[in-house]
Amino acid sequence: MFEDYLLRLFSVTPRRAKAIFNVLRGRRTVSTLFAGLTYGCLDQLDSWHGVPLERFLATAEALVNQGFLASPQPGYLQLTPDGQQRVAATTLYRPVALSAFQTVAVRQFAAEAQLALQVVSEAVHQQRRYYPVTTDPKTQARVKAWVRQQSRTREVAAAVYAGLHAFLGQLDPQLAAIFVASLTGYRQPGLTDAQLGVRFDRQPIELLMIRKDLTCQWVAWLQSHPKDPLAGLLAPLVKASPVSTSAQRTVRDFSQSGDLNQIAQNRRLKPSTVREHLLEAAILTPRFPFKRVLSPAVLTQLSDGFGGRQDVADWQFAEAQAVNAQLTFFEFRLYQIMRCHDATS
Amino acid sequence: MQQAELYHLLKQKYGFDEFRPGQLAVIQHLLAGEDVLAVLPTGTGKSLIYQLVGSVLPGLVVVVSPLISLMQDQVARLNYQGEKRVAALTSQQDYGSRQQLLNRLDQLDFLFVSPEMLNQPAVLTAVRQVQLALFVVDEAHCISTWGPDFRPDYLTLGTLRNQLGDPVTLMLTATATARIRDDITRQLRVPTAHQVLYSVNRPNIYLAVATLSDETAKRARLRQLIETVAGPVVVYFSSKRQTDLTAEWLRDVTGLRVAGYHAGLSAEDRFKIQQQFMTGQLDVICATSAFGMGINKADIRMVIHYHLPTSLADYVQEIGRAGRDGQPALAVILYVAGDEHLVQSLNDLTSATPAEIAADQQRFARKQPAQDALSEVLDHYWQRGIDPARVSEQFVARAAARQRELAALLRYVTSTTCRRAVMLSYFGEDAPEHSLTCCQLPGADLPLDQLGLKRGAAPTTSEVEDWEIQLKRLFLLNF
Ligand SMILES: [Zn+2]
Repeated sequence: MFEDYLLRLFSVTPRRAKAIFNVLRGRRTVSTLFAGLTYGCLDQLDSWHGVPLERFLATAEALVNQGFLASPQPGYLQLTPDGQQRVAATTLYRPVALSAFQTVAVRQFAAEAQLALQVVSEAVHQQRRYYPVTTDPKTQARVKAWVRQQSRTREVAAAVYAGLHAFLGQLDPQLAAIFVASLTGYRQPGLTDAQLGVRFDRQPIELLMIRKDLTCQWVAWLQSHPKDPLAGLLAPLVKASPVSTSAQRTVRDFSQSGDLNQIAQNRRLKPSTVREHLLEAAILTPRFPFKRVLSPAVLTQLSDGFGGRQDVADWQFAEAQAVNAQLTFFEFRLYQIMRCHDATS
Repeated sequence: MQQAELYHLLKQKYGFDEFRPGQLAVIQHLLAGEDVLAVLPTGTGKSLIYQLVGSVLPGLVVVVSPLISLMQDQVARLNYQGEKRVAALTSQQDYGSRQQLLNRLDQLDFLFVSPEMLNQPAVLTAVRQVQLALFVVDEAHCISTWGPDFRPDYLTLGTLRNQLGDPVTLMLTATATARIRDDITRQLRVPTAHQVLYSVNRPNIYLAVATLSDETAKRARLRQLIETVAGPVVVYFSSKRQTDLTAEWLRDVTGLRVAGYHAGLSAEDRFKIQQQFMTGQLDVICATSAFGMGINKADIRMVIHYHLPTSLADYVQEIGRAGRDGQPALAVILYVAGDEHLVQSLNDLTSATPAEIAADQQRFARKQPAQDALSEVLDHYWQRGIDPARVSEQFVARAAARQRELAALLRYVTSTTCRRAVMLSYFGEDAPEHSLTCCQLPGADLPLDQLGLKRGAAPTTSEVEDWEIQLKRLFLLNF
């Protein structure tokens, strides 16, 4: 159930619930992204797009009332022993590829790919009259353009078949079966999540998660097989970096000049915005040039103070300031981010 | 345009040799530049009328439609019939895609749009800049039965039509009493429109009512009908939740292929279930009235109403989805005394006393936001500066109309004489003589043998296929 997916995001230490939910809903403020990083759920950024915050909050409240979560202080939640047990016991599908949401317009790709596969399947069977699976004009226009770029129908269909066969062949057979049974094409309307749930004895929400994750896995596969016909449909929906364009530009400017105030002036941004850009980039790209911003002296001080402490989310800026009154919050936060990346690399 | 040319077009574009009842007359009036109110039974190919007229006259056909899901069905259907320059403008699209669509209106042949959307200045301006071939108001009875309560924006369609330069207008509906027809032409300001009327009577649909003692007996009868009468079957409910629950239960107890269908499903799920049903991969659909407005499946053999419809007009419309192939079909209402209270309370949800209406106007005057569905509806009136007394009058008239409609429906349900006669007299038509295959009188059994509607052997649920075989079937020819 949704409850179980939600429960998995918490641990035995308190976490900021709203921040976690906003990670899933795809909010990209620095404080949300930082929470995602410290709680280890950044890979699920944007994966529950469109689900209202109220739904998350209501579900969390229900879990508190049932004794699976506790709220040690307002806004924070942690697993109770019952909650821990429930998390350990659940056999719900665990997604593995949701990080695709960071750089790929996965939902748009899913809509286009579904229509494209239907068009190819019907075309190879010489069907010209059929109901398109989506009537969204943008999706139809993009798939039409894609179809025009393809070679002969039978060759495209054969290539699509070969690609899907190779991709699905490396999956758990049940996942492959779910993927194929949900497709729409010649003489196959495809099964709904509820129907797949009945057939494979899983809950509908699990199917939602499985299909989302399978699309992400397929996206990753297509990215490493650029000659597959569907890769052409995917390419325009991929960003080079998860970092926003504006923040990327700030990082580029910074690596040239190294002077934050000058960048702010040239780009007519507030200095605080420039710092936010750098933090966003630092959170989303582990290879961020931390040592260009943090001087050796600052680094030494901070690692003297926090070197042995793993609880990054709980460090207090005041502690660091007590050692070095000149230290800025920006530097402190950047060091936290660096330590998070170090811990996971 | 000569009649022969129209027949030629019909053959060439759609592959038909004959027009269905009413189609030709409506098309000829429209091509002569006259407005038409067409009351044609469901399944008579209403969309063919505006498609054909649209292909003859230059310019854009604008189709005003009440529901997003209906519009999507219609766009899909036109796509299916080879019309590619078709789009729906809906509130589900983001600003960017809407703007894009508006910028290329001149490249479209058909545009589906809700009254709310058409009312938006940007949309209206864009539509005014292109030539209009035809202005179509689909499900035109919504102006009357949905107008004052649920869709206040329908009330502005008359003004909108003026603002579009009074284009030739086609009003389409499947059922309309004389009162509703008057309402439609008055609201749309086309008092001289030609009325092309075809009977609401569908002689191949046997009309039945099962009066039961309680909910348990109702469920048992539902199950028995599903197990003994030929399919495919549509069962209508008034609540979303009950469609899903009953679908699950029927699947378990009958072993048939059953699915729930309602407006709460995603567009993808709605598409899949409709197509499964159309292609014979489902035996029973448990649906709310959202199902079927855009569906054209000819061989539905039974339509069951688990809950009462809200009016005879709705009922005729909903059972009209059965037996479109002309073969015998069965329409059954499952009735437990007191079921009308559910309809009554649904009606009450959208009614309000003069005091409540006046209080809400005060709220609006204080610039406080609408709190509930009722004040949202009322907001539309206040925004147009209509005074509370006038709104109250409308609400009172509307409540009385609903009361009359419910009473007429109950006369049909509890009738001890020919039900078809009761139904047709409500629409001002004469009934044919009652016979064994006409309708079910109290105490009579269903004549399933005579109707040829006994269910055959249950279909064997297909084996779950290996994914590799399934994939080959999808993408490889001659597999
Ligand atoms: Zn009769």
